[in-house]
Amino acid sequence: MMGPTGLDPFTVFGVEHRLDLDMRTLERRFLQLSRECHPDLHRAAGAADCAAVLTRSAEINDSWRTLSDRWERARALIELRSPGAMDRGRTLDPEFLATALELAEEVAFADGPDLASLRQRLNATCDDVFAELARACAEDDFAAAARRLHESRYVRKALADLDARIQGGTA
Amino acid sequence: MSATDPKPRLVVGIDLGTTNSLAAIRAGKGARVLRDRDGEPLIPSVVCFLPNGEMVVGRGAKDLRLQHPDRTVFSAKRLIGRAGAEVDREAALLPYRVHRGDRDLARIEVGGRDYAPEQVSAFVLQEVKATAESALGQRIDAAVITVPAWFDDAQRQATRDAAQLAGLECLRIVNEPTAAALAYGIDGSKDGTVLVYDLGGGTFDVSILRIDEGVFRVLSTSGDTHLGGDDFDQLLSERILAAAGASANDAYVLQAVRAAAEGLKIELSQKEQATLRIELQDRAPIDITIARAEFEAMIAPLVERTIACVHRAIADAKLTADDIDDVVLVGGSTRVPLVRQRLEQDLGRAPQTGVDPDLAVALGAAIQADVLAGNDKSLLLLDVIPLSLGIETLGGAMQKLILRNSTIPTSSTEEFSTAVDGQTAVVLNIFQGERELAQDCRQLGSFTLHGLPPMPAGLPRIAVHFLVDADGVLRVTATEKRTGHEASIQVVPTFGLSRDEVRRMMLDSIENAQQDYVAREAIDLRNKAQAMVTGTRKALALASLPPDQTFSVQKSARALEKLLQSGADAAALKVACDELSKLTATIADDVISSAVQRSLQEEQGSNTNPSAS
Repeated sequence: MMGPTGLDPFTVFGVEHRLDLDMRTLERRFLQLSRECHPDLHRAAGAADCAAVLTRSAEINDSWRTLSDRWERARALIELRSPGAMDRGRTLDPEFLATALELAEEVAFADGPDLASLRQRLNATCDDVFAELARACAEDDFAAAARRLHESRYVRKALADLDARIQGGTA
Repeated sequence: MSATDPKPRLVVGIDLGTTNSLAAIRAGKGARVLRDRDGEPLIPSVVCFLPNGEMVVGRGAKDLRLQHPDRTVFSAKRLIGRAGAEVDREAALLPYRVHRGDRDLARIEVGGRDYAPEQVSAFVLQEVKATAESALGQRIDAAVITVPAWFDDAQRQATRDAAQLAGLECLRIVNEPTAAALAYGIDGSKDGTVLVYDLGGGTFDVSILRIDEGVFRVLSTSGDTHLGGDDFDQLLSERILAAAGASANDAYVLQAVRAAAEGLKIELSQKEQATLRIELQDRAPIDITIARAEFEAMIAPLVERTIACVHRAIADAKLTADDIDDVVLVGGSTRVPLVRQRLEQDLGRAPQTGVDPDLAVALGAAIQADVLAGNDKSLLLLDVIPLSLGIETLGGAMQKLILRNSTIPTSSTEEFSTAVDGQTAVVLNIFQGERELAQDCRQLGSFTLHGLPPMPAGLPRIAVHFLVDADGVLRVTATEKRTGHEASIQVVPTFGLSRDEVRRMMLDSIENAQQDYVAREAIDLRNKAQAMVTGTRKALALASLPPDQTFSVQKSARALEKLLQSGADAAALKVACDELSKLTATIADDVISSAVQRSLQEEQGSNTNPSAS
């Protein structure tokens, strides 16, 4: 797991602590911050300035990576709003785990035309989980949000495995 | 380089290719290629080491490859920064001698002398530099140099070393497909998502970029360092060898067949069928006809490998094929029709043809060079790190701290602890690569954090911080949080030429230049002395001098002649020459000195030094 460096990506970007952010606005902000801080456009600075520019530029890039991915953005938000919630939400519902296991098996044995429809179904499940996560965040229920985020890992893993199988088949 | 420097700094962009190299410079809104006196932009990346010790680089060297098959080195880029089994794999395909030298690194042996691939690349860069300087009428000391996106740190460092050996400060190593995208998007009308498909001589890269109001952002990059147009040539070569009933164990045959294959490939890109007449030594010429369909069947598996990379790059960018607005082709081998067809088929749009696939990379490098020289603030390139970085953890696993395709600069911190009770030092081994086990990745460096207070295993909290700058250079810092003990290194690959070797090679080249100069001066001096002896004698015969003067001049001339015959060194010759000219100059009658001068000129005119400088 990529450890957080005590960095608050929302503050770096000067935006509110919330999950539903307008991506295009965020992207423009990223480009603007990059222009202001990228070392390539500030090469003449002295050694101390250089180090500061470099650190700041890395913060901007790393914050963008977090904010532009919906799952990473959710994780950062949960950690900021309710520190430790991710650790506390680790124990998952046995019923969910049974479903996740079935899903993994389905991915392992799917073949031919099944692959595409399974992929569609997994994508839809991801969207559903995210919608529930977003609802929990909006209601400030970060314990529930953390559980949803942990659950999403299983679905996303199944999807990644499926994509690897589809790619492996065509390569 | 200071902010107050009023004159814009001139920095060129150089595409150091497997097959050809070239330079370009920023001009107006775009960039222009720097051509040689004949108007040629491409300089073959070929160096021929002639038996007489002379060296020919570029087109002249390419022309000599059949005459000196085992002395003509090409595709050195396939060897640069490589070691071990990789070297053997490449060596099997090359007509010149390649072996593993010190620390298992690739070495090239020509006529009993050993060269590092970096040196060969440096000779090519010197030629590019000289061509650029004469095109610009100005000296150049800095450049942005491109490499395949898939090059690892060792290969990048080796390229930097080559630049240094060639007397160029390398301001930045830029990925080739990224540079091509800069050339494509520089006119400002191409905002959107572009896929760059770069099939060079020795490597294949694919990158996806988003162009947005002057910011060029790399979203993902993928590729294969062992796949290129050379491999197409190789398949054709095998076909030609089979048809000619020849074997590939002869350097001449290999070079001849390679040259023929390259010609065939180009012809098959335009025609449905190509015929080739090949003459191998002491054999009757053979005609070989190959249909395009046959060629395409041969290369299809290679092309499919590139298409798989394209799909991987799209997936890594979290996009689908529909999100790609334009496809840019780079590298001469993208002229092969099958490549274009397959791309069009999979991406649903014809590749765009507005950018010359041979020139785009150098043009883009020139644009980035201008930005780094501080002349253009309107443009920004956000590149990514091509391979993941991490450290070895317990059990030899590779723990990644920075994932590939992360936009640089970037940083990451991870906490570790000790494995043994009372441990007072930890060794951090830093690796680069995608594999799960550290042994399958490439080690970049290693350092030790000392001074840990003895504690039970698992109690110390060691924070490891990775910071990658805009050049892609990694700096690692490790801190024990309870005590504040800290250690850090700037990671320069432990691989490739050591810093000492680079320094020594630099000194060698300076020293050699000094030796060459001294040797040249000695030859000039001998010629001059010889001319003085002959000239003085002729003058003496013409002038009528008092006997004692005639005698002293004759004596001095004889002494000089004896020195010449005994092969005396330059210093002794110079003393004797000076003495003789002093004598002849002080002779009252200037008839003699003018006569000496005249005959001296005649002698030297007929005795010009034939060796080139």
